[in-house]
Amino acid sequence: MISLEHIDFAYENGPYLLEDLTMTIYDGDYVAIVGENGSGKSTLVKIMLGLLKPNHGKISSTFRRPAYVPQPTDLINKQFPITVEELLDFQRQVLKIRAKTSIEAALDQVGMADFRRHLVGTLSGGQFQRVLVAKALLGQPDFIILDEPSTGMDLRSQDQLYPLIHDLHEQKGVTIVTVEHNLRYAAHNASSFFHMVEGRGHFCTPDEYIREYLQENGGNAHV
Amino acid sequence: MFEYAFMRNALVISLLISLLCPLIGIFLVLRRYSMIGDALSHASLAGVAAGFLFHASPIVSAFCLTSCFGLLIEVLREKFRRYAELTLVIVMSLSVGLAITLVSSGLVHTNIDSFLFGSILTVSQEEVITVAVLAAISALTIRGLYPQLVMLSFDEDGARISGVPRRTINYIFSLLVAATISVSIRIVGILVISSLIALPVATALQFQQGFNRTMLLSILFSFLDIMAGLFLSYWIGAAPGGITAVASVLVLLVVILIREIHQSRRGGVHQ
Repeated sequence: MISLEHIDFAYENGPYLLEDLTMTIYDGDYVAIVGENGSGKSTLVKIMLGLLKPNHGKISSTFRRPAYVPQPTDLINKQFPITVEELLDFQRQVLKIRAKTSIEAALDQVGMADFRRHLVGTLSGGQFQRVLVAKALLGQPDFIILDEPSTGMDLRSQDQLYPLIHDLHEQKGVTIVTVEHNLRYAAHNASSFFHMVEGRGHFCTPDEYIREYLQENGGNAHV
Repeated sequence: MFEYAFMRNALVISLLISLLCPLIGIFLVLRRYSMIGDALSHASLAGVAAGFLFHASPIVSAFCLTSCFGLLIEVLREKFRRYAELTLVIVMSLSVGLAITLVSSGLVHTNIDSFLFGSILTVSQEEVITVAVLAAISALTIRGLYPQLVMLSFDEDGARISGVPRRTINYIFSLLVAATISVSIRIVGILVISSLIALPVATALQFQQGFNRTMLLSILFSFLDIMAGLFLSYWIGAAPGGITAVASVLVLLVVILIREIHQSRRGGVHQ
């Protein structure tokens, strides 16, 4: 379980990006964080991961092995000279996992075992995303946060990735949080939505979110 | 030419530099911190001047003061997150200002040209031992932190979430950069150390290989560059630093040229 209570966050001399935000995610949940660009979704994720410290409020977590799958386009230098196998092997060493077989198991799980000798820079967006998921799976996480997992992916890649996330949740009981723009998969997989508007958020069902979205956009938006 | 003790000393130090510079350089280049190497190499001049002032080993004093400046860069980078390059200007102003003041005031009665441009004539046996100790400690530390450094370079946030202590490792890395620079200034010279830190890595990157192979290629090119500097400086009587820097640029250009020709031929075959 991870619990955030009355969280305020602002960068130095900046406006508040999160204001009095309270949320609890229980073990086995699958929560899709949704909202407009700039509503504070990525900031919330960074607070949950401990990458940012809130100005006010309290965070407590019982998860022991959190993992994060960033957007493939986000900050990571895709031209970094590293093969898929090396990337997972260095991560294995960082996580102090002894068994080298864990690399093959993680790559098998995401269907990327044939790409182990490829440079990550030569992979398509969807393949790279699956490698990042394999990297996250190495530590056998109990909690995974995925930031806009379908960004830059074609439909075929999305159809490969989302069932994988769904299986992790359903079969292995991993708690999943995704920052989502892809409502098709979010509505299908997530047990609840967390709708963010201008730094504040609340839980809702996919249907409730769509109604709220239409209200916010004057009923004219295409969902 | 190896009948001369100074050439044997220079060769030992050159071999150590050719190993150490790419070990550090690959992380500086991939984290886009190449300019930190440049700033700290200039900062080491203050350490050399302080060493002469206090009659201490200029290499040890360069290591101590460059380490302090390296740690200062890390502290300031936390303060100036949005203008990180400002920290380099601050540290260079302080360190080079100190060095110029010490040298120009007459407090230091030694010609520091050999440290600016590099020299193979003035390397003593004691300096070889100092350099060997610093290089061995640095190489072992990098070996120990290798996976953490790679993952921090690849994805800093991901590494932090995986439990890599970013700040501690950044501080240790600053000490390693300081050690590498201190080890290198005797042969390569303060003014062009950054070429030996960055350019062999840039050359190796042209081959588009995995991380470990890129590292090995960087060491190979670093070895070629510094050997060119060492041997040519002996034959033509010039400072090795300049020749090493020019050699590293030439090797990079040749590799880029060969790669372009190879790619255009492949393109022609496909057409």
